[in-house]
Formats: sequence, C-alpha cells, structure tokens
Amino acid sequence: MGNTTVQRVGLVAGIALILVWCLLPVAWIISLSFKSAESITNGSPGFFPKDFAGWDNYQAVWDNEQFRRAIFNSIGISLIATVLSVILATLAAYAIARLEFRGKRLVLSVALAIAMFPVVSLVGPLFDMWRAIRLYDTWPGLIIPYMSFTLPLAIWTLSAFFREIPWEMEQAAQVDGATSWQAFRKVIVPLAAPGVFTAAILTFFFAWNDFVFGISLTSTENARPIPASLSFFVGADPFNRPVSLIAAGAVLATIPIVIIVLLFQRKIVAGLTSGAVKG
Amino acid sequence: MSTATTTRTQPATGRRKAVVSDRLKAENALGRKLVAPAVIVMLLVTVFPIVRALWLSFYNYTLTAPDDRRFVGLSNYLTALTDSLFWRATGVTVMIMVITVAVELVVGFVFAMVMHRVVFGRGVVRTSILIPYGIVTVISGFAWQFAFSLNNGFVNGWLPFVGDDFNWFEHFGSGITAIMISEIWKTTPFMSLLLLAGLAQVSEDMIEAAKVDGATWWQRLYKVILPNMRAAIMVAVLFRALDAYRIFDNIFVMTAGAAGTESISFLTYRQVIEQFQLGMGSALSVLLFLSVLLVAFILVKAFRVDLAQARQES
Amino acid sequence: MGWRIRRPLPRRFLTAGAAAALVSTTLAACGDAGTPTLNWYVNPEGVETLQAVAEGCSTDDFKIAVQQLPSSATDQRTQLARRLAARDSSTDLMSLDPVYVPEFASAGWLHELPDKYATEAGSDDLLAGALDAITWDGKPVAFSQWANTQVLWYRKSLAQAAGLDMTQPVTWDQVIQAAADNNGSVGVQANKYEGYVVWLNSLIEGAGGTIVDDTEAGAKAKVTIDSDAGRDAAKVIETLADSPARQADLSVSNEGTSLGRMFPADPAAPQGAGEFMVNWTFVYKNYEPGDGKDTTAEQFDDLGWARYPQTVAGEESRPPLGGIEIGVGAYTDHPDYALQAAECLTSAESQVKYALEIGWMPSRASAYDSAELRDAYPADLLTLFRESIDNAGTRPKTAFYNTISSALQARWHPASAVDDDTPARSAKFVEDILEGRSLL
Repeated sequence: MGNTTVQRVGLVAGIALILVWCLLPVAWIISLSFKSAESITNGSPGFFPKDFAGWDNYQAVWDNEQFRRAIFNSIGISLIATVLSVILATLAAYAIARLEFRGKRLVLSVALAIAMFPVVSLVGPLFDMWRAIRLYDTWPGLIIPYMSFTLPLAIWTLSAFFREIPWEMEQAAQVDGATSWQAFRKVIVPLAAPGVFTAAILTFFFAWNDFVFGISLTSTENARPIPASLSFFVGADPFNRPVSLIAAGAVLATIPIVIIVLLFQRKIVAGLTSGAVKG
Repeated sequence: MSTATTTRTQPATGRRKAVVSDRLKAENALGRKLVAPAVIVMLLVTVFPIVRALWLSFYNYTLTAPDDRRFVGLSNYLTALTDSLFWRATGVTVMIMVITVAVELVVGFVFAMVMHRVVFGRGVVRTSILIPYGIVTVISGFAWQFAFSLNNGFVNGWLPFVGDDFNWFEHFGSGITAIMISEIWKTTPFMSLLLLAGLAQVSEDMIEAAKVDGATWWQRLYKVILPNMRAAIMVAVLFRALDAYRIFDNIFVMTAGAAGTESISFLTYRQVIEQFQLGMGSALSVLLFLSVLLVAFILVKAFRVDLAQARQES
Repeated sequence: MGWRIRRPLPRRFLTAGAAAALVSTTLAACGDAGTPTLNWYVNPEGVETLQAVAEGCSTDDFKIAVQQLPSSATDQRTQLARRLAARDSSTDLMSLDPVYVPEFASAGWLHELPDKYATEAGSDDLLAGALDAITWDGKPVAFSQWANTQVLWYRKSLAQAAGLDMTQPVTWDQVIQAAADNNGSVGVQANKYEGYVVWLNSLIEGAGGTIVDDTEAGAKAKVTIDSDAGRDAAKVIETLADSPARQADLSVSNEGTSLGRMFPADPAAPQGAGEFMVNWTFVYKNYEPGDGKDTTAEQFDDLGWARYPQTVAGEESRPPLGGIEIGVGAYTDHPDYALQAAECLTSAESQVKYALEIGWMPSRASAYDSAELRDAYPADLLTLFRESIDNAGTRPKTAFYNTISSALQARWHPASAVDDDTPARSAKFVEDILEGRSLL
C-alpha cells in the first residue's frame, strides 16, 4: 500500500523531471527570442523578457535572405542525402535481412565502424579534393560527405526493421495466385514501408544536425546549411552578437523537427530502439 | 547463438544438394550486388579521404603557400605527439567523454524507468524526450551558452551560490561544465531510449519472482534488472562514448576553445580550416581517427561484447 | 549514386523552388548572359549602403553584386582564403582587414595593380596609416576603402567626478583608477579573438615596443614582445583585470559588449556611473539619438572622446588602426572591370557616403574636408580621428600575421591570467609556432 504510493509519487516526480529537463531549455530559447535587441545590448539577465519584442526578431530573421537561403539549403541537402541513403540502404538491408551471402556480417561491421568515424578527420582531405574538382561550396559537395554518416545509420536501422518482416507472406500470396510483382507490391511494400519511413526520419535528423561539414565545405549561402548559418549569423549591428535574433532563428530551425516529432513520435522511438538494440 | 541467422535462412531440407548450392550461389551473388552500392559509397566517402589524409600528413603543406609543399616524413606526428596542447586536448576530450557518459547513463536510466512505467501521458513524455534528441547540437550549444551568459542569461540568477556577474566562460572548470551540460542535455534522451529498449526485454515475471522472494528494490535492480540489460547498456555506452569523443559543435559555439576547453576534434579542425596547415592537420586527423579506434577497441574489449551479435540476437 | 549528381540537380531545385529573391544573389558564374557581374565579398556591416555604392559604381559594362562574409575578421579571412586557394574565379573583389593584406599578397591571391591604378591606390591623398596598410613589398597592392581607429569614449560626468582633466593625454592607470574610485568601469576588447590583439598591440606600441620586428623575413621574423614594453602592456592588462573597474564579462568582451555599460539604467548599481571605453569610430553614430535609439539627448551630451590612453605616462599613445582594404581577386575573369570598380568603390566621394551612412571614417584627407562630413560629425572628433589614424600603431605587417595573432591569443587569454611572465612565455610560444615546433 505505502509502497505503491511511494512508487506513484516517484513516477509523477519522474515525469515532471523529464518534462522540465526536456522543455525548460526549449522554453528558454523561445523566451530569449522575444527579448528586444536593445535590451540584449544593454544586458537583460533573467529568464523572461522584460522588454517584450513581439515578433520583431522573427520578422528580422525571416527577412534575412541568408537565413532563408540556409533553411532552403538545409531542407534540400538533407532531403537529397536522406533519399539517396535510404535507397541504397534499402537494397543493402534487404540483402542483409533476407539473403544469405558471405561477408554479410562484415557489411554490418563496416557500417558500424563508419558510423563511428570522426567526421573532423574527413574535413581536411575533402576540402582539398573538393576545391580541386570544384565541389567546394555546392550542394553535392555536402550531400556526398553526408553519406558517410547517413548511410550507415540507414543500413543499421533498416536491417533491424527488415528482420522483423514475415517474408513468408510473400510466398503465401504467390501460392494464393498473386503474381510476384503483386505479392511484392501488396504484401511486402506495406510491411516494409513504415521501416523505410522511420529510417528516413532518423537519417534526416542526422543530416539536419550536421555542423562540421557545413562550416568547412561551404563559404557562401550557395550551400551553407542552417546550423553553420546560425553560427555565422550577424544582425544589423556587427559588433553585437544578435543573441535574440539567433534565438529566433534557432526556434524557426527547430520547428520542422518539432513537427516531425509530433507527427511520428511512435515511429521514431521504435526506430531508435530497434536500430541499436533489437526491441 | 551465433548460428541463429544462418539456420533461419537455410533452405528447407529435402531438396537435392546441387539445387541448393545453385540457389545459394545465386543468393550469394544477389546479396553482394545489393550491398555493393552502399558499401562502395561508404568506403569512397571515408576510406578514400582518410588515405589521402595519411598521405598529406607526411608533408609540410600550408594552403597559403601550396608551392612550398615538402615531404617531412613523420615529423608532423612527432611534433603533435610531443606537444602539450595535443595531450591537453586529448585529456579534455577523455574527461568530457567519461563524465558525460556517466551522467547520461544514470539520468538516462531514471528516464527509462519512468518511461517504462508511465501509462498516463506516455505520448507526451515520449514526444518531449524526442525534442532534445532532434534539436540541432549547435542550437543546444547556443541555448546553453546564452543561459549561462552573465549579460542575458538566467542561470546566475537562479543559482543561489553563484554571483550575478559570474562569468562562466572565463575559466576552464566552469566553461567545461557549461559545455558538458549542453552535451548531456541533448544526448540523454538517446541514451534513455536505448535503455528503455533494454528494459523492455527484462521479463516482468523474473522481477515478480524476486519480489516474492523478498528482494528489496535495490536488490531487484542490481540482481535482476541490470544484469538482464547488459547488452543494451553496453551498446548505449559504446555509441555515446564514441560520439562524445568526437565532441565539436558545442565547443565551437560556446567557447571556440577558449579557457583551455579545446577538444581533439576542435584542435584538428583549427589546424586544417583556420590555420590552413593541411599537413599538420592531416596528421592530427589520422591521430584522431586512430584514437577513436583505440577507444572503440578498449570499450569493446572491456565489455567483451560483439556488437553486431548483441544487436542481432539481443 | 552520389557521384553522378554534380551540379544539375541542385540547380534545378533552385530554379524550381526558389523565390525570385534567390536569383539576385546567384553567383556571377550563373548569369553569363550579357554584362558580367562582379562579386564583391564584404564584411557584413552597412550592407545597404555598400549595395547602393556598388550600384552607383556599376556601369554598362559590368554590375557589382554584394556577397556577405561572416562577422569576425578571422572568419572573413578563412572564407576568402578558402575560395582563393580553390582558385575561385568568382571572387572578383574582396573587402580585407588590413592585417591580412600581406598574407594575401604574398600568397599571390591579389591581382597585381597596373601602374595606372597603383598610382591612384597609393595616392598621397591617403592618410599615412592607411597608405602603410595597403603597401606590401614597397608597392600598393589594394585600395583603401576606409580607415578605422580607436579613441577613448567616456562619460563626462564620470571623468569630472574623478577630477580627470581630459584635455590632457591620460594614461591607462589614470583611467582605470578613475573608474574604480567613482563606481565606473573600463570597457576593452579581451575575448579570445583578433580584437584582443588590437588592444595588446596598441599597449605595446604605446610603450615604444613591438610584437615582432623584421617582418619581411616571414617566419624568421624576430619576436620582440619579451621586452620592457611587453611587460608594461602586461601590467596594464593585469591592473585592469584586478581592478573593481573591470567589467564582469572581460574574458568574452568584444566591441559590442561594453556599449550597454556607458549609460546604465541605475546609477546607484555597481559600475552604474558609466564607463571609459576604448572602441572604434562607429560608437559616435551608435549613441547619436535618433529613430529606434535608446540614448537620450541628455545622455548623449554626457558622451566625451579623447585620444587613446597612454601605456606609459608621457609617451605618446599609438591608437589601433583598422578599416577595410579592397583587393582584386587574382583569378577573376574580369580584372579590368574589377580594378575600375575597386577604384570607384574607394573614391573620396564613396568614402564620404560610407562615413555619413555607416560611420566608417575616410582614409583620404580630401574626404575629411567635405561639407557633409563636417555637418555630420563634431569638428574636434574628426580632428581626433584623423590624428589617431596618422599616429596609429599598426599591427605587425607579416604574411604570418594570423599565426602570430592566434599564438598571442593562446598565451594572453584570459586577461585575468596575465602577469609579468606573460610576455616571455608568449615570445617563446610565438617562436616555437613560427618554427613549426609547436601546435597552435
């Protein structure tokens, strides 16, 4: 009796802890984005804005062409990298989950090893090669190195998902008179699609998060993604770091992530947990 | 256990051997064809550059004077390995890795326990926990840098034992603390989700049985739950440790390496990108790569865990 | 596969998905129809004015498009150098911090100025400090867009309370003491960045010393910071760091952080009496009351300015020199147009426009005589700026400047750790770095 009460209190406290932990910094950055530029210059310590700026900072960030370009670059580059990785990874994961071939474990090990690769090690040589072959400061110049971490992640997640698919159903459908294409389309695709989709979301998160390549392999808004752009962001007054503008930019850059999380929370949790340890 | 995968896909018995081996051969070929593009791309984008880094690391090569490139053998490595800055950065990196992973493991486990038990509000909790996970590391760095800022932050005001004009980024101890907090905040959710997956595999019956036998909560935790989560904990620690060893984004944003908060990744980055020292920078890249391998090797040996196996068979 | 999609894919995405606004910044390489577009990489300040001047300098033969660089001098250098090392032909014109001119010139990244332009670029209309900044190997290698310098900005009421006679040269010790005794503070730039070296260099030169000598010798330059002048400079930094007049964010301070401490809201609060601040010329326009400004006319009346403080009493101070030089990219496809454009962008007329709209001080003597400038700034302030630029202590002119600067930052930051040994330790470190014996 007493035990359960203690447990219940503990649980509620735990939930509160998680919510505060996760959301307090988010609330902070939102609150900061409403502090006015003048109050930032003059110094305005405290959690809440004393001098409420309304949507001014958001307006200013959104009117900044470099920022819009960076958002556009980030979306484009991350999406392309995601699509390419997921396509290649689907082929590989299908083979790993369903076929027996030599070197299978090696593929998984290689993927894991490459996922652990220190990206900073790649930056120097890539920079040197990219400027020689004119990929420096272009979209492909980022998409290609992104594959070094998106592809292993996608392979890892997808092969875990595909192992769970009851492939026998395909044969069963064929026995029931479906052609092999029908069997694939009607049976396998619906079974595999959620996994592929989840892998795509996780891959997209990783690509969106990249910073090292973003600052090293670009030099203009031609290809500079949002994290790099935020770190170089300058407001109207170059001598003052536009703290509240950066906060507004950070909030805008986080909105896509929040939307994805809200919509696909279950899938992401499933993907994360099965990707690393079979859940 | 390690034969589980092979037996599953082994064709049904009773067929003629020749057919079996033909089929196996075809399957073998198809399997390789399917993984080939992915493997080739992965190797092209990593092995190719690292080999080039290895080659460049034997040269004295500065971007501002490309024509003065000259072969210097191992002297870049010698300079790096005898330099206190290199060892300091390595020490800082190891320290960050050990502390953040330890804290994340404890906090992550608490979070996992809560998520495991929670029924009401499960969606809300899980959604919240995914937000730090999804947020860009740079933004986490900014959020915490501004929070600790004495001009516009709130931490000084909230902490009773810290003066209002305490400058967190002036000294190593406080600066590195701020950096580690941003790292821990952002990555604990990932840790907790991996642990949650492990927790889900611990059978409730066993816990109940232990309870019936009169085991206390701590005993159940140490004797039943944790041993059964071993694989999950190891995978989580390994993933996070190697990730923490590569720490870069938060440091770049929060201190830019000031007050001695430079990590080994940041040091390498500065040589290559800011100092244009492609030769020395490449040597550091190779050393960074080797040290990651070393850390991975130590962890895998220490845990005696075959990762691919832990994941496949759990 | 990743390798196939070179350029077409993103380009298609761009044209398909992007708004018209995006097209305007597309690089010259893309707009090959008709008149060529010259890219001018600028530091991101007063961009609207720069765009207007660029438009005015565009002709029927070429257009000038403004491209923005990051805000810190070091990042600007990194971005430009990376493009130029890649032999980028779209870098036609670049705004360069004066300290990087030697490095860029000796790397062969600046297009040589033909005699016709060299005469104009090195015109004797330029103030002495500005001329020195664009000269490398005895020749002008870039055009001087404007010249910056620092003066001592202060609250008249604070100086008065301290009984400091600001019509006479003041020393750092006096300023720090005055602020400490009268509930004021002293604003400097001491984050781990180029601005800190600006301060350090002026302190050392003000004591009659230098950081390095024999700079033409490149990596073999003689490191001279371990000297009495170096120790005098360390003493000033140490004094401030230990003084109640230090601002709490000293170790992360930059040109913007102390602006808000000139007119604190609550005079009774600690350091509420305002400050003495060494800072660049933009400060005047920053505080000048106007639309969207917090400063009242009354506060503005209380703002004073004086010559940069002396490191050693009786020895003339050597204020910092900044500003921007415009270089022509070595790999540009249109060198003639770019040279023509650079000349126009740096003319006396353009310089007046920069001064009026952005607060960038001219590097040409003739621009100081313009009636508009005299209307916009108090006469004594203009005289102070000119005099400061003429007497400026330039930072070491060497192709290895960035290396030297980073090495100094590594040993002198944070200011609170500076002591009598710092000059010796940093001298040793700079030498080790230049000889490739140490990591930076």
